[in-house]
Amino acid sequence: MAKRSSSSLLTSPLSIFLPRGDAFLYLFALLSIFSLLLHHLSASSAAAARPDFEGFDAEEDDEFSLGDPKDDIVPPLRSTPPPISLSTSTPESHHGPPDSDQSGIKSPPSDQNPKPASTSAFDYWDEDEFEGIPQTSISSPEDQVTPESAPAGSESDSGSQKLVEDPKPDVKFSKKLASFWIEIACVSFLIMFTINYFTGKRENENLALAWASRFATKDSIFDKNFSLLGVGETDDSPLLLQDGKNVFKFYASGRRFCSGLLATMELKSRHDLISRLYNMVVPCKDEITFEVYMNDDAMDQVVFALARKKLAKTMQKEMRDLQRFAGLVNPPNGRKWVTDELQVVSESKEVAGDLITDVVLDQVFGEKAFEKFGKGFISMHFSDQHLGSAKKMLVFKFALPDANKMADMTRLVALVPYYIDLIGRYKLSSHARSKTEASRSKVAQEIYKELQNARQEALQKKKAEQRKKLEEAETKLSAEALRKREAKERARQMKKAMPKMKMTKA
Amino acid sequence: MCVVSTNFGYRDREMASQSNDPRLPSAARPYKPPVIPPQELPVDYSGFIAVIFGVFGAMFRYKACSWLAIIFCAQSLANMRNIENDLKQISMAMMFGIMGLVTNYMGLGPRPSPKS
Repeated sequence: MAKRSSSSLLTSPLSIFLPRGDAFLYLFALLSIFSLLLHHLSASSAAAARPDFEGFDAEEDDEFSLGDPKDDIVPPLRSTPPPISLSTSTPESHHGPPDSDQSGIKSPPSDQNPKPASTSAFDYWDEDEFEGIPQTSISSPEDQVTPESAPAGSESDSGSQKLVEDPKPDVKFSKKLASFWIEIACVSFLIMFTINYFTGKRENENLALAWASRFATKDSIFDKNFSLLGVGETDDSPLLLQDGKNVFKFYASGRRFCSGLLATMELKSRHDLISRLYNMVVPCKDEITFEVYMNDDAMDQVVFALARKKLAKTMQKEMRDLQRFAGLVNPPNGRKWVTDELQVVSESKEVAGDLITDVVLDQVFGEKAFEKFGKGFISMHFSDQHLGSAKKMLVFKFALPDANKMADMTRLVALVPYYIDLIGRYKLSSHARSKTEASRSKVAQEIYKELQNARQEALQKKKAEQRKKLEEAETKLSAEALRKREAKERARQMKKAMPKMKMTKA
Repeated sequence: MCVVSTNFGYRDREMASQSNDPRLPSAARPYKPPVIPPQELPVDYSGFIAVIFGVFGAMFRYKACSWLAIIFCAQSLANMRNIENDLKQISMAMMFGIMGLVTNYMGLGPRPSPKS
């Protein structure tokens, strides 16, 4: 036994400090050490002979159990071994047959007085095993003095220990579960992800189709305004073009004043569980953006935007054309104007006044109408100075309602052809036109200057680079020349040295 | 202006039957999808994250990292727009993730403890 314990003293540190390269295994080892410690403690007092503990993780016990006493229990005990070793006959008499041993060590048969009543207490203990067990639990004074009282006391002891021990199988099970929680969580997440992928995709498609069937089928508003609907060239081509899983595009063309209209629906990423979870924290809307590419001759110099107050201010700061040409327009006195929630950004008051007509105020942007019909309105932005390929463009941004409430945005969609016609027919007054032309030429000059500056800078850079290259080449050349000179010098010295060598040799 | 205002009236049947039709079939142009250079394509963040997690998981044998890599692979796969460009990155991330898992579960299985 002593030999055994000493070997375990060696192996247990090894088992702890062996570099396994896996934090998880360490954790597991620690956990099992802890559980075995508990086990050991409780078993020392009682009840380890219970059948559930037969063959209870023999391997692990081999690895860890014997190391335990050394860690925690030995120090107090080493100081007081005598009372345990003293117990020669009296405790022995209580020992029953050692039917099982939790640490896999069979004690020699010491059944001099098999007493089934006291099996619960100490029967399975080898005498040597008592080294390293708390004194109080094993050899209490009553035990030695009055052997009859011992079984009862230990019985009650074991009873109380049973209460402590009972959750242990659960602990074991939950430990096993806990060691697999990553796998369980990840696999279930992946399953949820795939399910959500298909359901979310279906949801998005339904929403887009609901929009298309409401506004782009026969006798609908776009059919009456555009001669070509859909992305293909023929009539029976699909109306919607899917780009990714959550972006749908609708194209229409063949109308006066404009060359085409592109509606882009950017729906929530419903197919993507991660972004769906993210959107629970940061909510977003399904948006539809109409881009109307105006004909060059059909749009005067107009820069105009309308949005909710906060957005209008950021647009004015961030959009280049608005920043350059337009400013916030205060509501004029003595005229019906857009509701307080909205803010107009425009190049001049005249433009703003002409574009916000009574019809529009009555239908959508007025105080009363906006409450009812303007819920989905995000922004409107008309400009002849857009960046990109199409300069003259009207941009409308709306939020899409639910698939079964598509009718809510009918008036908003009706704004699109309305404004195409309004702007197509709109002509600035001569006074306003001269102003806008002046500002545009000014900006054009600025841009030209910027361009020139950039060009000059580029030229200078090029020159500097060329100079650098030349210098580098020179240094290279000079380096080569240096090397040549050095080589020559060395040769000369060699020549000088050679005769001397010969001399010495001679 | 009256013509313009009828656009709102399209919802009403009586107003819809107007003589002046805004449609111009001669001006119809078919849709041309804008050509986006590959540099300006939206960045596939989830694929990037998946690669990073996959590498970490394979290098340091963190199970959680490898699993996260697989999850982000799935997200990247779900958000894939054009097959040729994205599939490279996704397959790379997937390989790292699976490799990490294989080394985790196969390479470091329950080792027999050294018995004296």
